Amino acid sequence: MTDLLESRIAIAADGSVTAFSGKFEFGQGIRTGFAQIVADELDVALEHVRVVMGDTDLSPRDWGTYGSQSTRQEAPILRRAAAFGRAQLLARAAKRLGIATGELDTKDGHVVSGATRIPYGELVADTPLAGPIPDEVAFLPDGRRRYIGRPLPRVEARDIVTGRATYAADVRIEGMLHGAIVRPPVRGAKVKSVDDAAARAMPGVVAVVRDGDVVGVVAERAEQARAAADAVDVDWLAGRPDEGPDADIPLHEDRGIDEALAGAATRRTAEYVLPSIANAPIGPGAAVADVTAEGATIYGATHRPFGLREGVAKRLGLPEEKVHFAPRMSSGTYGRSSSIDVALEAAVLSKGAKRPVNLQWTREEEFAYSPSRPEVTLEVSGGLDANGDIVAWSFDEHTANVHTAGWFDPDPERAGGTQGRNAIPPYRIPHLNVVLHMEPTPLRTANFRSLAAAENVFAIESFIDELAHVAGQDPVAFRLRHLDDARLRATIEAVAERSGWGRKPIPGRGLGVACTIYHDTPVAEVADVEVSDEGVVRVVAVWAVVDPGFVINPEGVRNQVEGGIQQSASWTMFEELRHHDGRVVPTNWDAYPIATFRDAPEKIDVLVAGDSSRPSTGVGEPGAVPTAAAIANAVFGACGARVRELPLRPERVRAAMRAT
Amino acid sequence: MQIALRINGSAHTVDVPRDATLLSVLRDDLGLTGTRYGCGIGRCGACFVIGDGRALASCLLGVEQASRMELTTIEGLADNGGLTPVQEAFVAEDAMQCGYCTSGMVISATTLLERTPHPTEAEVRESLATNLCRCGVYGRAIRAVLRAADR
Repeated sequence: MTDLLESRIAIAADGSVTAFSGKFEFGQGIRTGFAQIVADELDVALEHVRVVMGDTDLSPRDWGTYGSQSTRQEAPILRRAAAFGRAQLLARAAKRLGIATGELDTKDGHVVSGATRIPYGELVADTPLAGPIPDEVAFLPDGRRRYIGRPLPRVEARDIVTGRATYAADVRIEGMLHGAIVRPPVRGAKVKSVDDAAARAMPGVVAVVRDGDVVGVVAERAEQARAAADAVDVDWLAGRPDEGPDADIPLHEDRGIDEALAGAATRRTAEYVLPSIANAPIGPGAAVADVTAEGATIYGATHRPFGLREGVAKRLGLPEEKVHFAPRMSSGTYGRSSSIDVALEAAVLSKGAKRPVNLQWTREEEFAYSPSRPEVTLEVSGGLDANGDIVAWSFDEHTANVHTAGWFDPDPERAGGTQGRNAIPPYRIPHLNVVLHMEPTPLRTANFRSLAAAENVFAIESFIDELAHVAGQDPVAFRLRHLDDARLRATIEAVAERSGWGRKPIPGRGLGVACTIYHDTPVAEVADVEVSDEGVVRVVAVWAVVDPGFVINPEGVRNQVEGGIQQSASWTMFEELRHHDGRVVPTNWDAYPIATFRDAPEKIDVLVAGDSSRPSTGVGEPGAVPTAAAIANAVFGACGARVRELPLRPERVRAAMRAT
Repeated sequence: MQIALRINGSAHTVDVPRDATLLSVLRDDLGLTGTRYGCGIGRCGACFVIGDGRALASCLLGVEQASRMELTTIEGLADNGGLTPVQEAFVAEDAMQCGYCTSGMVISATTLLERTPHPTEAEVRESLATNLCRCGVYGRAIRAVLRAADR
């Protein structure tokens, strides 16, 4: 389908520019990147460009913000749209002045010819910019760009540091009340009966709503709603949650794998285990719903604005076009807000109370009821020939479906792009067999930053390190020896150089390397860790080199890669979400510690080495993917202990130290 | 009950339940939504405000107790749409992603620099240790605080 200029860019009479994207800004900086692109190609000042994202009334339809794909998918379209818009403005000015477009140029929101300056606003006063965006458009010459390629702070920065930024929970509309949900003891329970007599008599209570299996209270104040919700007596019928599919999916088949392993000169087998972890955004889920007989407006943040609209419309029995999703700032997601749970509950409460309702989940609800990353077990066997080259690699990934996305597809190619993401190693391996085993889980599961790539790469990059040591080779050299991809090779070589790979080790310290290609973004990392005799691991420094193709905002790329490394280091060092029979154990930060300022590495050094001849790729996830293996490999480098289960708790590291 | 509060240099009177927290009064009665809810147990720092010069978790602070303090919220740090050196430094270092924890970090950093105008990196880490960030901007936030201190 050809994109239309009018669905992408609008210029107002005052010359201000609005660009439209169906993607969502979660803090990954795409709004800033998109603004840079549009400002440059339209030749206007950045501060005159506003980017509307994920508004179902204004933005073009989009399937969702996933997989670090926003820049890759949207940057080329917005760039062409802006360039086409500029071409139209030049043509209109040429017609008006009766001269050829070649005699005209643009400058800072004006079409210029000698002393004549026509503001863009004048050229669109009667007829807005419109038309199908052609595949080929002339871009502004390289030297004329003011913003693309430059390190710029986020366009939302001032609003964020002054507290003016509006998150879903900050929406204040006339007549708005506050909601709270009555939670079942276990996920999937059905409502048998509701006794709300006590709750209705409590201060501030306006309505007790029951709609299907959603029971909630709407009150004048949030704390009143919560207190009354706790006083509603619901008789629940214990249901069984959908535990997802049970299936074995070959992602890369090699029928000769057993013979190849049996015939190898050296073999090694290992099992890697990652626990379930919580997405745990700092702001628990929140949404504001304003439902009337005529339609509904939902304020919130989601990976799927149009999916949310569809889901809410269905739940409320409204036609889709009567539901408007109005985006607000996201309080952190990392995949969590793929689920439209909070929006659906807010909508149901608003419909029942016939008033706008602000629903703010508590931190306890966020831990207990929001979706989380499932545990993963990875069994790997490898064989080396007499020269120390890998001849066979067998990889079995055991994981669970991602309920929130609801997109499980047993087709190997599709599964390989979702739950089996990055299960295929980037290395040259003659006999490669990779199987994805989907296993049921009672946990409510979420896609979490890179889906299963971080888990798969933890196993792959730990195991390749193990093979390097079995072969008696340097881990960097061993990887390079098995790699053909020139860009990944270049990032590994660069990170080795920057980190001083091969330097004389400090006692108790070690370096570890890991790499991956995540959705066309090669990234390599080296971690420097300190391991005490008691098995306490401290991440001292991490170096990363990333090649995201043509770079739009180098500072934005660095920030994302640093953040990915910091978050991934937190998963690796501290995090485990315990759960029994579908019930999550920790309810707050005291029971689910994450990395703090005290734990932040002394240095996270990110080199953005983008190949500018290649299309721009996304960087929201790649940095997070190799970090766990780099840290675990560095622990091995420091003390010879191979830890195959996360998080790297001291007792686990001590046990591995004893096993050496 | 009627409660008089002094916030950002102005007097406010609110009529709220006795057990209301300062956080709910700021957000729901006074529209000062820059102070964020994060955990309700004072463990994440998203709801920090300045009370008598100290960074305090407004989710744990009763409104009566708060009425005896001179309070500053994120909205009250700078005058007339300007930015304080700490806010400017957070922008300059791009020390934010989703930005939800930023209000609390800026509050903590502001009180730190009032107490200790030239902190060491270790002091910055210690005094911001109760501000959790999930996006992972700790390194940038440390640089921002040190940058603001240099001014």
